[in-house]
Amino acid sequence: MTCADRLTTQAYFDGEIEAAAAAGIERHVAQCADCRALLKDLEQTRAAIRNMAQQDAPPALRARILRSIDEEAAAATSRSGPLPWRTRPFWLGAFGGAAGAAMAAMLAWYTLYPAIGNPLLDDLMTSHVRSLMPSHLIDVASTDQHTVKPWFAGHADVSPVVADFAPQGYTLVGGRADYFAHQRSAVVVYQHGPHVINVFSWAGNRRQVPADTTRNGYRMMFWEVGDLNYCAVSDTGWDELSALVHLLQQSSARDKRDSN
Amino acid sequence: MDDKRGRFEAQVLPHLDAAYRFARWLSHSSADADDVVQEAMLRAFRSFDSLRGSDAKSWLLTIVRNCNATAHRRQQRRAWVPLPEEHDVEDGHAMIASTPDPEIVSMCAEQERTLTRLMAALPEDHREVLVLREIEDMDYRQIANITNVPIGTVMSRLARARAGLKSQWLKDVEGELRDVR
Repeated sequence: MTCADRLTTQAYFDGEIEAAAAAGIERHVAQCADCRALLKDLEQTRAAIRNMAQQDAPPALRARILRSIDEEAAAATSRSGPLPWRTRPFWLGAFGGAAGAAMAAMLAWYTLYPAIGNPLLDDLMTSHVRSLMPSHLIDVASTDQHTVKPWFAGHADVSPVVADFAPQGYTLVGGRADYFAHQRSAVVVYQHGPHVINVFSWAGNRRQVPADTTRNGYRMMFWEVGDLNYCAVSDTGWDELSALVHLLQQSSARDKRDSN
Repeated sequence: MDDKRGRFEAQVLPHLDAAYRFARWLSHSSADADDVVQEAMLRAFRSFDSLRGSDAKSWLLTIVRNCNATAHRRQQRRAWVPLPEEHDVEDGHAMIASTPDPEIVSMCAEQERTLTRLMAALPEDHREVLVLREIEDMDYRQIANITNVPIGTVMSRLARARAGLKSQWLKDVEGELRDVR
């Protein structure tokens, strides 16, 4: 028989579970023969792999790399003028071309290939639930939008609207970067009474955002601003959620006016 | 400019061995791995300014992975047969390493070669998460960042990689026993 909690047991084995939650898993493992066997397998696999001889970079390769970096650094200092690409070897151009073609192919794949089911909803759901586990909620803790917003510049591929709505009952508590929709998306975290609201944002690739929906009891509201897609996820009621969405949309509109 | 070189040496160069190991597991031959690592290091140096603080190792491994994917597509190689090269495994290494599990202590060079072959035969997206977790000791979030998939996918790929490796290992051992008989 296969235990449904195997992924959790694996996460426990990998040290991804907080001490408080780990106690519960240990109790489960004590009673579940399947998970006990799994833990033993995981330990053996890990020991075997970590016991393998691992090779370090050969000295000759290391020397070659250092030399090429020195050349690159020297070239960068000497060419203070324009057209830096002229000094680069041909294969770099070829390499860039190949990378460009590959990217174009991937883009075509993602835009042309019809979505099967909607993995996006599952990803958002998973990310929200995981964020509620201890210490996974925020990477940058701050109630100051001027701290959270610049933080995204270094950690996410998008720059969403960030504002504190504490007077209206939605306190900005921080931000986090999460991977889904094939990019580093930005998550802004709000506290509303006892509820946590995750506001996800990602570049939309001109695909329509899904309709608002409920998954596992969590409500998800979608909207878009320009080429950015947003989704607010929480266990609050629809009214509370849409009030925050409304505030965020107003804030986006204000940002846009200011920048014009 | 020299400052950039110095910072690169302090922050990125310590991860060269990790980059090399990862490239070895991703690419098809040690020569390919050399090329991939060299390209990756040069690219890393050029875009070093985009590494803002944080996690240099994840950042470098992401570049290695991208370089490998590009090289792979460029070459459109024939299907590869993963055969560990002779010098890959130093005989006796496994005997020296200490581990509490007696089953593992007795792992000989032959078994190490088998394990290398089985890992190389895993689907690439399974193999890379396994290598990042077990050999590079990255956490789920870092693996998700490097491989560009959600954490849930990392978890399920890791589970499948580990289960696949174990079942192949058992099959292999049984096969050997049959051969002996």
